[in-house]
This record gives sequence, structure tokens and C-alpha cells, in this order.
Amino acid sequence: MNSNNRDQALVERCLRGDRKALEELVGQYERPIYNAAYRILGNPDDAADATQVVFMKAFEHLGQYDPKYKFFSWIYRIAVNEAINQLKRVRNQQPLDDTEVAGTSSPEATAEAGDLYRQIQDGLMELTDDYRTVVVLRHFSDCSYRQISEILEIPEKTVKSRLYSARQVMKETLLARGVY
Amino acid sequence: MLDEQILNLINADIDGELTPAEQQQLDDILETSSEARAMRTELLKLSNLLDNVPEQMPPPGLSDRILNQLAPPRFSSGFSLSNLMASFQPVTAGLAFAAGLLLTVGFYEMLPGHNTLSDTTGMVGTMVMGQGGGMNLLENNLQFSSDGFSGTVSLSEKNGFYVLNFDLDSTNREEIVVGLDRTGLSFGGFAETPGSSDTVVETVTISGGTLRVESQGRQQFTVFLRGSSPEKVVAAELITIDFSHDDGHSAKDDSES
Repeated sequence: MNSNNRDQALVERCLRGDRKALEELVGQYERPIYNAAYRILGNPDDAADATQVVFMKAFEHLGQYDPKYKFFSWIYRIAVNEAINQLKRVRNQQPLDDTEVAGTSSPEATAEAGDLYRQIQDGLMELTDDYRTVVVLRHFSDCSYRQISEILEIPEKTVKSRLYSARQVMKETLLARGVY
Repeated sequence: MLDEQILNLINADIDGELTPAEQQQLDDILETSSEARAMRTELLKLSNLLDNVPEQMPPPGLSDRILNQLAPPRFSSGFSLSNLMASFQPVTAGLAFAAGLLLTVGFYEMLPGHNTLSDTTGMVGTMVMGQGGGMNLLENNLQFSSDGFSGTVSLSEKNGFYVLNFDLDSTNREEIVVGLDRTGLSFGGFAETPGSSDTVVETVTISGGTLRVESQGRQQFTVFLRGSSPEKVVAAELITIDFSHDDGHSAKDDSES
């Protein structure tokens, strides 16, 4: 059974009220969804909140999931949309001079501060939402062009052009930060 | 300056998305263009940097928090309540509903129009005290009756779980909204009473702290509630139950201690 068939079997069991299946789906997607959310939001607390909301939304609308499509793409689409929406809410709540990457208060973020990975995350946060999303899906979620196209519901051509432009910007940003 | 086509080939190469023909084309370009080779090296370096950033681990307990908030989307009428209850983690010590917490519930008569908490017009009946003692600290009933809509809602607490039982009968389509936003509780499950052939619950949706049930006719169902975390203060007395008719009439009950 391939991963999509397995997911669909789990979804069907969830819809029949099988809590074990629900636990399996959460267990399977918690980490990848959290990671994608973290890279888009740049903050562990916001990423945890977003992950929680993603699963809430996904299971609320599980009956509307169309098995024609991959469950993976469906839940990632919810995740990306939720992360972007949350980012907008966070930005609206923050004063303009407080827009630096949040989360530096967490132990993980503190440990990372100043090091290469922090610089890379900061570089990511300087990208536009569209650019950051394709970079995250490609490099942190290991999605192919086709998968990114399905998740974001944009043509593959657009995926390529966003990704290539994002890399150029990212390269310049990291060069300016002395990472290269 | 490299043209766009070469840049596209280099990027696609890095992503492993070149066809064999494109790969050959790029190899030919790289053989003759030092600029293309330099660009490929730079982009490859960036790509490797990104690919090697370690995965972030979700905070401990995140999956539990998620699962605590999720109720199975819909149970069939034959669903076994005992199975559902068995799947719950018991909420143990530390809950704040001490023996002194007594629930009082207003008995409202449903009247046309929109009753709110502050609107006591049309409110009839009396206030009851929760029957404390042992683990069953709360036991409250809300009864109402109006043209075309009547029933009871009871709240009980058993071994750390709160159970809202609905026994309703409506001529029109009803929307019943249970709100937990101020309570520290979350939804743990929903079940229609097995064997109730005339149960007509149409849809059940849960969004955050709100559960919405649309139904018509005789409906018997149960909503299970649980504390978000053992340490968190639970204020079951702040559960709100809002009924709305198809014809726009509504009435609202807020349980208050």
C-alpha cells in the first residue's frame, strides 16, 4: 500500500469515528507540518499554534477531502495557508520596529542565535511570503515541483520561477550576512 | 550574464528535475561556460545549506494537545459509548472544581425573539444547586418548552469527564451551539444515543471551542467534555448553549455559578 492509499484508508477510518486512525494521522503529519510552519513563521510558539489549528481545520473538513487528490497535498495546503494567515495576524499585532524574527526567547532559538542556522532562518524571513513558501516546501519539506504546484494550486512554471528568484534573493541576503 | 534558460537549467539540475535531454544540454553548456559553472557552484552551495538545516522537533506534548482538541468527526448511531469513554485519558487530580463549586442553571422558557443573558423577560422557573459529593460534583438540568421546541439538557461530571446530555424535540430545524471558550474545557467526543431510530442530527461541526449541531425532530445526543490539561482551571459553569430556530428565533442559556 503506498503512502497515499494508506493515508486515505486512515481518513476513511477517521470518518467512521476511529480514534486510533486519527492518532496515526496526527502522528504521521505532526512533525512535517510543524517544521513547514516553523520555517514559514520563524517562531516555535507560532508554529505550534499553527500546527494545532491545521489539524483542527483538517479534521473539521475531513468529510470534504476528495480522495482524488493526495492527502499529503491537501493537509500541506491547509498548513501553508494557516501559516501565512498567522504570519499576517502576527505582523498586524507587532509594532513596525518589532518585526525581527520572533522566538528568540525559546531555548532552541536562543541556542541557535548567531549561528549559521539562525542566519539561514533570518534570511528566509526576509523573503516574501510567496518566495519563502516555495523554498520551505522544496528544501524543508522535500517536495517536488509537481507537489508544490498541487499544494499551492499554481502552475509548475510559476513554482520554478518563484523558486529560482527566491534563491537569487536568498543568495544575496546570505552573502550580505557573511554566511557565504 | 547568463541567460534565463541557462539559469533555469541550473536550478532544475539542482532540484533533480531535468530530463535526460535537458541534462545533456546543461552538461554541454557547463563544459564551455565558466560563468555557468560558477553559478551552478553557488546555487548548489545554497541548496546544500538549506537542505542541511536540521529538522525542528515539535514541542513535547503537541500531539496530545492536538488530539485533545479533536473529536472524531461523526459517530454512527451504533457507536459504542463505552469504547469512546475507554479511549479517553482520565482527567485526574488538580482540576479546580473543588467541592465548593456549585453550578446553578437558569431555566428559560423559549420565546419568540432573541433572549440574551441580561434579558430576563420570559425567564421562568427556578435556580437549582449542583448536587455535590464524591466525584459527582455537578448535576444540573436545563428544561425548556415552547411552541415546536422542547427538551432537556443535563450536565454531569463523572470521574473527571463532563457529559452534556441533550434530549430535544423540535418541529423546525434547530441549530444548537455549545461554547467552551471561557471554560478551560475542550470537546472530547460526540455521540448520538444508539438505537434511537428517530434521531435526526444532521450535521456536527467543531471549530475551536464551539460545537455546532444542526438537527430536527427528536434528538438524543451526548457531548463529552474534558479539561485541556490536568492543571488547568476548569470552569464548567461557563458553558454556553445557544439554540437557534430556522425561523430566526433564538434563545440563549448561560450557566453561571
